[in-house]
Amino acid sequence: MPEAVHAVTPPPAVKPLRLPGGPKLQNWLFGGWTLGVFIFLYVPIVLLIVFSFNESRLNVRWEGFTFKWYGVLFGNERVLTAFKNSLIVAGATTVLSTFIGTVGAWMLHRYRYPFKKFMDLLVLVPMVMPEVLMGVSLLLLFVSFKMGLGYVTLIIAHTTFCFPFVLVGVQARLQGIDPFLEEAAMDLGATPIVAFWKVIVPYLMPAIVSGALMSFTLSFDEYIVTIFTTSAQAPTLPITVYGMVKKGLDPSLNALSTLFIFATVVLVLFTQTLKKLK
Amino acid sequence: MKKSALATTLGALAAALLLAGCDKPAETTTSAPPPPTEPATAEATPATDAPAAAPTNTEPKVLNLYCWSEYVPQTVIDKFTEATGIKVAVENYASNEEMLTKLLAGGGAYDLIQPSEYTIEALIKEGLLEPIDHAAIPNLKNIAPEFQNMAFDPGNKYSVPWMAGTVGIAINTDLIKDEIKTYDDVFSDKNKGNIVVLDDAREIVSWALASQGIPINDVSDENLEKIKPVLQKWLPLVKVYDSDSPKTSLLNGDVAIGIVWSGEGALLLNENPKFKWVLPVGAHLFVDSLAVPKGAKHPKNAEAFINFILQPEISKLISADFPYLNPNLPAKALLTPEEQANAASFPTKEELDKMEVFKDIGPQATKVDELVTTVKSQ
Amino acid sequence: MATTVIPQGGGSDHQRKPGFGAWLCLAPMLGWLILFVVVPAVLLVIMSFAERGTLGRVVYNFSFDNYVRLFGSWPILKIFLISIWYAFLTTVICVVVGYPVGYFIGRLPERWRNLGLTLVMIPFWTSFLIRTYAWVSLLSKEGLINGTLMSAQLIPAPIAMMYTPFAVVLGLVYNFLPFMILPIYTSAERLDGAMIEAAYDLGAGPVRAFSQVIIPLTQPGIAAGALLVFVPAIGMFAITTLMGGGTNPTIGEVIYNQFVKVGDKPYGAAIGTVLMALFLLTMWLMRLTRKET
Repeated sequence: MPEAVHAVTPPPAVKPLRLPGGPKLQNWLFGGWTLGVFIFLYVPIVLLIVFSFNESRLNVRWEGFTFKWYGVLFGNERVLTAFKNSLIVAGATTVLSTFIGTVGAWMLHRYRYPFKKFMDLLVLVPMVMPEVLMGVSLLLLFVSFKMGLGYVTLIIAHTTFCFPFVLVGVQARLQGIDPFLEEAAMDLGATPIVAFWKVIVPYLMPAIVSGALMSFTLSFDEYIVTIFTTSAQAPTLPITVYGMVKKGLDPSLNALSTLFIFATVVLVLFTQTLKKLK
Repeated sequence: MKKSALATTLGALAAALLLAGCDKPAETTTSAPPPPTEPATAEATPATDAPAAAPTNTEPKVLNLYCWSEYVPQTVIDKFTEATGIKVAVENYASNEEMLTKLLAGGGAYDLIQPSEYTIEALIKEGLLEPIDHAAIPNLKNIAPEFQNMAFDPGNKYSVPWMAGTVGIAINTDLIKDEIKTYDDVFSDKNKGNIVVLDDAREIVSWALASQGIPINDVSDENLEKIKPVLQKWLPLVKVYDSDSPKTSLLNGDVAIGIVWSGEGALLLNENPKFKWVLPVGAHLFVDSLAVPKGAKHPKNAEAFINFILQPEISKLISADFPYLNPNLPAKALLTPEEQANAASFPTKEELDKMEVFKDIGPQATKVDELVTTVKSQ
Repeated sequence: MATTVIPQGGGSDHQRKPGFGAWLCLAPMLGWLILFVVVPAVLLVIMSFAERGTLGRVVYNFSFDNYVRLFGSWPILKIFLISIWYAFLTTVICVVVGYPVGYFIGRLPERWRNLGLTLVMIPFWTSFLIRTYAWVSLLSKEGLINGTLMSAQLIPAPIAMMYTPFAVVLGLVYNFLPFMILPIYTSAERLDGAMIEAAYDLGAGPVRAFSQVIIPLTQPGIAAGALLVFVPAIGMFAITTLMGGGTNPTIGEVIYNQFVKVGDKPYGAAIGTVLMALFLLTMWLMRLTRKET
């Protein structure tokens, strides 16, 4: 029986986890494994949070509880500036990457371009390319074009390896899309751009969001590509932290990480609550 | 309408980018709150003159400093800005070669650099440094005589020493009870898997050369062949190669002995009395200096900075953070007795007399690096 | 009201031929790729044929010297092989460790999925250096793990865990795990529950359902994850240096050294070009063996 298509509703969601019968065991096993992996991921994190309150400067022995490193952190302009720079760069990178990745994925899906196979491969290259190669080759480019290194070059570099993550995620989501969705929207009078914005993008949201999350994370923590493409104008956090190794890292950096995680957790809880309220 | 929301977001982004870009090099300076107590200009000792806010200096109040990471304390930079009103933009490098790359790439971007002695030699040969005006740097006289007029820059025409240091042996005496005097002592089979050394091919090769009685700057192909077996015996015993923070593995107990920078050694000595410092036979001296690259846009500001840091109270601050060999005599006198007695920071006079410095070895650097990489991977 | 039959699976039968507008919209991405990926790569290859000048300058006299030197240098080739080996180990471990996680999160109800993903990401919002130093405090001889084991009298002397190949692989796995989890998550999330149910309905036990239905269906995710881990891991260096103590240099470190410490950029560019050829080859091979999704 032919199903009616509503112009703006995405197709029904995939069935959630509730495997029938026997696989409850599989459920438990996988869940338990996941928990184990999370422990592995978080032990160093918990450790560094704990050490942010450590009296001792060295992260080897616990010598007493103190908030003093948080004070040191807020007095350390260099680290704070670097943190701010990292946020700016990661933010800009995420916006750019999301835009280029989403539009690019849609275009590749929608139209039959010549050399499509080649383009598919090309798009993967920056995602997969070893960071040292990317850093070095981009530096060559910027020097040849006599571009001064700074915010712009840094954002360009980061976007280059971040947008494919968005693109690939969106492409995966596009695999399951109703091919007549756009046409239905246009039948109702929308132009291709409006159809894209009002119909396709909402459908793609989960992929866009996870791609954006990935972009932000990658950019924020990127060290190798950054060393080659930045300058005094825009030192990011990984660079500054690495420079501090000589003197010895002190727990104020742990304090920074702790605060950042804390802020993220608060943000996540906030958005989850918002969703529930909707 | 959704479409305009997108447009506004993009517009905001563009604006943010522009604003970020407009944050000039001053981005990395700190217009710090006034530092407590220490008046930056009070000079009680006759050994120094007031910092020259040179009357004929009409340059814009900016200084582009390109220096080793973690070698110029932020307090010193802040005090300079406070005293002269000149904002300092700081960029860091991790090696002389990295500094050279950026320097050669381009056009007067830096006013002050901080090369090691062999790099200064090479830069002078290529005519890439500006001569400095001694009249603008009256505090030059604070530099100890043995550091003035060194071979790599006769008459200090182009550079002023910042800090000197050595590379020596740090020993955790809790774990190692033997007597250690020479490089060979370090690389004994007993110490296998317990050694940290600098990750610097030139350094490693110089130790091997010294142990064979060959002058450390004589890195001819034959000599490199001669020390190859020495390296083949030594390097498999090494657990960690680390030029950034060799003290970490020593402090963590993961290694018990190391050949490290004297500043790192000094920090170890300060941290725990179980660490001992030995300057081996054939050790060498290194000197990092401030110099003004050719084409610098603010050379007078650079000279003002140099004169500023040569004041004893300021120089003392540098030592407090980085306990290397401070060549500034009146500054040294201001240090605490413990600091002055730190064997790693300040070698004895006879040790000093025996030490050589690195010279520029040009393209042989590639061969040196290749030798070490080859042996490391065997 | 239009009513239409929806055929399953989108794809090429519905694509239109691109008009001018379509090319214009593709231009940002295409232009970006060409300008910031292809051109720099070409520049790198060009530099690999140049020579080193004084003070680390690059002199553009065409020469094959760098390649001759590179292929004649057993140490460099050995380092290539070791780097590939570490990357391979890391990839395999990531697949084994990460698959259940990606699958589990992918099959969670929708509102828990994003939370799960975020939880995977959060550790990476701390600076990688601090994370790595946290591992150092865990693994060093006087660190937490040894300390606990010693006071519980489970071991007579501290185990040397830092600065070993174990530490290197641990560091790599820790760093690359999300890159494996995410594609598997994407694949698992799209799985049609009906197919799995069908398998069970047809009498398959959990092991068979898993190995013969679920894994093949998520194979694109595994392949994508493997690619995302394997290739970048070959060129990784900062983490490997910190965890491994520099005794086992990776090829990424060698390239970095040439550019930053030694100043022989053309040689570094040559090694880089070979690495680039290697990874393009890997990508191409993986695309060939992958099923068309």
